[in-house]
Amino acid sequence: MSVETHALANPHHEHPDVVGSRNRLGAILILVADITFALGVLFVYFYLKGQNVNGMWLPAASDSQSATTPVSSSGAWALALVAAIGLLAHRFALMGARAKNQAQLALGSLLALLISLVGLIYQGMQISSASFTVTMGAYASCYYLIAGLNFMHFAFTVFISLGNWNRSRLGLYSADHWHVTIVEIWWVWMTLSSVLGAFALSFT
Amino acid sequence: MTTVLDHPTSAPGNSAMKRPLIERLNVFTAFGLGIISAIVFWYLARTFLPENTEGSFIKTRLDAVTIIAMLGWFFGFMTGIGALIGPFRWLLGKDLDHDESMFYAGKDQGIKRYFRYTTDHKVVGIQYLVITIIIFFVGGTLAMLIRMNLGHAGGGWLQPQTYNAIVGTHGIVMIVGTIIMITGPFGNFIMPIMIGARDMAFPRLNALSFWLIVAAIPPMLSSFFFGGISTGWSAYAPLASQAPPGMDGYIMFIVIFAISTMVAGANITTTVVKMRAKGMTWNRTPIFIYGVVASVALALPVFPLFFLSQVMSAMDRAVGSTFYDVRGGGSGWLYENLFWIMGHPEVYVILIPAVAALMEMAPVFTRRPLFSFNTAIMGIAGISGLSILVWAHHMYVTGWAPLLNGPFMLTTELISIPTGMLFLVLIGTLWRGRLWMTMPTASIYALLWNFMIGGITGIYLSDVPVDGALHGSMFVTAHFHYTLMGAGLTGALASLVFWFPKMTGRMFDRRLSWIAFWLVQIGFNVAFIGMFLVGLAGQPRRVDAYAALFNQGNSVTTMAAYSIMAGMLVLLYGVISSWTNGAIAPMNPWFAKTLDWTVPNPVPLENFEVLPVVTSDPYGYGKAQS
Ligand code: HEM
Ligand SMILES: [Cu+2]
Repeated sequence: MSVETHALANPHHEHPDVVGSRNRLGAILILVADITFALGVLFVYFYLKGQNVNGMWLPAASDSQSATTPVSSSGAWALALVAAIGLLAHRFALMGARAKNQAQLALGSLLALLISLVGLIYQGMQISSASFTVTMGAYASCYYLIAGLNFMHFAFTVFISLGNWNRSRLGLYSADHWHVTIVEIWWVWMTLSSVLGAFALSFT
Repeated sequence: MTTVLDHPTSAPGNSAMKRPLIERLNVFTAFGLGIISAIVFWYLARTFLPENTEGSFIKTRLDAVTIIAMLGWFFGFMTGIGALIGPFRWLLGKDLDHDESMFYAGKDQGIKRYFRYTTDHKVVGIQYLVITIIIFFVGGTLAMLIRMNLGHAGGGWLQPQTYNAIVGTHGIVMIVGTIIMITGPFGNFIMPIMIGARDMAFPRLNALSFWLIVAAIPPMLSSFFFGGISTGWSAYAPLASQAPPGMDGYIMFIVIFAISTMVAGANITTTVVKMRAKGMTWNRTPIFIYGVVASVALALPVFPLFFLSQVMSAMDRAVGSTFYDVRGGGSGWLYENLFWIMGHPEVYVILIPAVAALMEMAPVFTRRPLFSFNTAIMGIAGISGLSILVWAHHMYVTGWAPLLNGPFMLTTELISIPTGMLFLVLIGTLWRGRLWMTMPTASIYALLWNFMIGGITGIYLSDVPVDGALHGSMFVTAHFHYTLMGAGLTGALASLVFWFPKMTGRMFDRRLSWIAFWLVQIGFNVAFIGMFLVGLAGQPRRVDAYAALFNQGNSVTTMAAYSIMAGMLVLLYGVISSWTNGAIAPMNPWFAKTLDWTVPNPVPLENFEVLPVVTSDPYGYGKAQS
């Protein structure tokens, strides 16, 4: 027992850089999982496209339903652009944090939050306006999978952008700002994964 | 010092009537909220989801309702256990203060901390140990049902569909049990102490990984009420797409479990990379640590593919997508590829930590340094690297890419080289050692024997023409039981006896450990040699009845299975009786040299008063300075 109280008497204040680098590695490792997941989705897309089983990648019109016309990939590229702009906004915030400019940090974070919301809504609109349902062939299945994944990514981005903005606003990053760095890692992946999705959807 | 101790604490009841939220949540609120929200989600789904379209092939409504209800359970449970407090506190900018972190760590909460979202790695380790025992109990019961049914030719007393459900559930339950059996209990309890850390890198993620497993189990077990998991543990689509809603329980189980694996993998890897004690360079890091990290780091990139395969299964079932349905341009090979790209590395996720644990024990019980540490590292690295290049040896006879059969045969057989290195290290360590005969020591021999049989039969199976005859037979079943149980579980049981004193403060009853060892090992070898024989003679696996020709082998296997069961029950009794009133364990009962044996029993909340500094490798037995 004496040891226990003693341990408490030494509240080990680790240096923020140590904590930050540990958190960064953890975040990257979790990203590894999401990255293989996304690459798996690409594999699914190109595998089913390449196989075109029973000619049902993009089924032609039949008595019961119309032909599946693929969506134009420009929507997906536009989303990737939104994500890239969000990344820039967040980068602006991070530069503010590094320069100890709290106003720039808060402004950049707010912008990033707004842009993530735009991305979320825009992706939602694209999903609901597709001209086919998920049952209409393998392309349709894959499209909803990719778009759905991107939607989830944007939803998560909204969550952490909101937290990041709120915490910036409260001045929590005045002493150390490794959280902001990690959020940037996520924004990079948000952008990259949108690009991957748009890339796949450019081949129909 | 006293000034710090005067620090106000948030002892329960201290702060007037209203206790903060984090103190009120526990496993009961989790189950309560989980059940309520499952019912609410189920009701809403039933009310608002459209009817199946008339005349369409695909009936999605029932599965959609089932999956939504299970998601309801999941969200409810995780909310009820308190998993969302951390993220939302972060969002609000109200990070946990010191007292709250201490509460989370389970300080001064006695037994209650085991029923909470507790972050102390030692609590999580014990929680994992208990859940692993429960999982094996369930899986073992199912195994005995299988064997009882196969005690007679021509089918036993189970309906074929029930039999299939029992086989599938046994399979997946045991796979998950073996995946967590070492990295869960010992990776969490022992590993941080062994590297000289005060806790894991991310204590809250640690709690998360454990409670996700608890959340995953009810959907899977509930499947028995909805037609069961009748596809075998591999849940091949499109067979799985046609299975009853019990399949949705499998899907939820895997999806949640995959998240747990990801979280645990990131956490354990970060802990080892960033938090080793001063002076613990990579070549002073104990081999067990390498095994644990290799296991979770291998799981990290492959489990997402399992997750993906199940998300697509769920979509095919619940919204009518056609990833695996050839009528809609899907492909069953797609499923098989995704499954086995995860599935083969996963067997090494299971095996590596078991071998590494025994490698950790070998020097202790022979009083010699580990033979060729570098060979051990190379073996582990080689196995991990190759294991992601062999998956299609499970698909030789499916017709997928016949041209690739040759290359996959080659990569598969290459794995025997790094595997041989692990053998070499163990044998080299035992060689001319002064053996201290304990149950863990004997387990090293058992592993060498069992894994030799498991590995060599694996090489038979990797041979394309031979596999053409043996695939789908009981031979395969015997092969992987020799590896999973004969090697993997043997290592885990030895770990239990070896680290029991540190984890519980009491010695594991020596006599019981020996009785259990022999009952299990003899029973196991008899049972599965019998299974090899009937497999060679052509008995198909996963079938509830068989021709009279296979009578003898099956009765032998069934009888021997009772011996395994008896051994496992003795072991279970040993756990309970030794934990409650076994002999009090000294700090270092095995006179081992790793850091985990330098902390007192019970291990203090933060492990080390002063963080240790490491100056040599942990295997300095028989050397002058030891
Ligand atoms: C030493 C190297 C090994 C080789 C060469 C090998 C080879 C193989 C091959 C070719 C198969 C496919 C048989 C078939 O379905 O027709 C197979 C199945 C299997 N192996 Fe191994 N194996 C090895 C080690 C292991 C280890 C260490 C484990 C587990 C710890 C393991 C677990 C399994 C499982 C679970 C299956 C069956 C999966 C199923 O169809 O349900 N194997 N092995
Ligand atoms: Cu394999």
